[in-house]
Amino acid sequence: MSEIVIDVGQRPIREVHEELKAACQTGNKIRVVNTLSRHNLGVGLPPGVDISFEGSVGYYCGGLNTGATIDVERNAGWAVGEGMSQGHITVGGYAGMSCGAAMTGGTIHVKGDAGPRCGVSMKGGNIIVEGKIGYQSGFMSHAGKIIALGGAGESCADALWEGEVWVAGEIDSLGVDVDVVEPTAEEVAEVDAILEPLGLVDTSREWRKMVSGQRLWYFESRDASAWLMI
Amino acid sequence: MCGIAGRILQAPGAVGADLVDLMDAQSHRGADSTGFAIYGTPRDTGYVLRGMGFDKTKIDSDMDDFRATLKDHGADLLEDPDFLTDNADHYGVRMVISDPEDLGQWVADADTLTDRFEVQSCGRSLEIIKDTGDAAQVADKHGVRELIGTHGLGHARLATESSVLPNASHPFWARPFSDVAIVHNGQITDYFTWREKLERQGYQFLTGNDSELIAVWVSDQIKQGLTLQQALKKSITSIDGVFTYMIANTDGIGFAKDRFAMKPIVAIEENGELAAATEEQAVRRIYTGESVVVNYDGPSLTGLWGVGNRSMAA
Repeated sequence: MSEIVIDVGQRPIREVHEELKAACQTGNKIRVVNTLSRHNLGVGLPPGVDISFEGSVGYYCGGLNTGATIDVERNAGWAVGEGMSQGHITVGGYAGMSCGAAMTGGTIHVKGDAGPRCGVSMKGGNIIVEGKIGYQSGFMSHAGKIIALGGAGESCADALWEGEVWVAGEIDSLGVDVDVVEPTAEEVAEVDAILEPLGLVDTSREWRKMVSGQRLWYFESRDASAWLMI
Repeated sequence: MCGIAGRILQAPGAVGADLVDLMDAQSHRGADSTGFAIYGTPRDTGYVLRGMGFDKTKIDSDMDDFRATLKDHGADLLEDPDFLTDNADHYGVRMVISDPEDLGQWVADADTLTDRFEVQSCGRSLEIIKDTGDAAQVADKHGVRELIGTHGLGHARLATESSVLPNASHPFWARPFSDVAIVHNGQITDYFTWREKLERQGYQFLTGNDSELIAVWVSDQIKQGLTLQQALKKSITSIDGVFTYMIANTDGIGFAKDRFAMKPIVAIEENGELAAATEEQAVRRIYTGESVVVNYDGPSLTGLWGVGNRSMAA
């Protein structure tokens, strides 16, 4: 099976997308080169597509993914994989602000660190970050798991709904209304099953699992000071 | 949403052209107005002024009255002014003046003319060029690509809190502090509180733009004895709102980001040179090869980038 190479450069992004769309229909592997951190690359890719981006990409790469396998060689800008429902995104370096924002399914694997608000408002799927997740990661996450192997920044797991944040390593500070709970062996096995295909299982990890304290699910004026902590 | 940029060169060079590239890559972030702050080779004496008048049919009387304010303070024009007019009502002017006896007092007097003519920058090396239009339009009209200097700032404005007017564009000069300029992306929510406090101290504000406030606020803190680094840090807990701003003086560029990490800034530093911008794709216009890009995505961050061997620590 041959590979289709698409050169981005300073071309209009619509033109790049038209070429990309045609390439997706061939069923061949796609390699996108000369990306120059351009925005909106590979948004809305269909299932079965296997695509790689050389270098770094800008905002929203792999957004609205419905099942493609996407590989970013270096860094991704803000909101990589935003709103994705299926598929697998790998970021070789750093993922910027709001990685996996509002995603409903699929997997995002970040080999470096992730910026602030990783998994903000996510509604399903898994985000695995080998490094540290940034400030306020997991903010208002509804469902799914954020798994950080290298610690977490300030205000971690702030104002969760039913999402979970798993951290191995240091946590700079917790967000509001967070319960840190001892995971059961079954729950750890579930997380290891997510890490296993990525070759990241390490049974010596000391996990901290964060879930919502559920106190702020219903606003009461006596809780106003908790909100103002942010 | 606005776009900001900073550029530092090791030696005087085409900083204008680079800033136009940085802003052209970000013109989608705010196409209503664009502006540039360019730091050329500093003069030993005398100031370069950039000004704007609002009615080009009154250039002569504007200049007569303006020159009178200079003479009242023992200064005068050192060269014939360069005027720039086009189809718009407003005009631009570049002047070189000798040193007024007291710069602050002269600026206060010159500011009595601001209903028809305003000084938009004053410095040994700073020149601020701003207008309505996108990066390419403003650059073409004002010849920004040809401007030579060591460093500078750029701004693309999407007005959210105040009017779209040529003089409400960024960068803002920290009136009356010579050679200080700012570009800002965000909104200041306690703008009127701070503006009143600073006005009581005698500071003048010419627009309703919140970014003008930050420039003066930071400069006032430095006047009271803080270093730039200390003033940048203090702004994060003192000024309410979302912001990433860059402030420049003759020694270099500093930046500060709010507590909520709402507005991005990225930078590439190579061989003593710098390109910083809101979006990574902008700095990649300058550095197209493999470069280490630093994303300052976290909350409450500050930084200083000096020009050449000039220290920003003092």
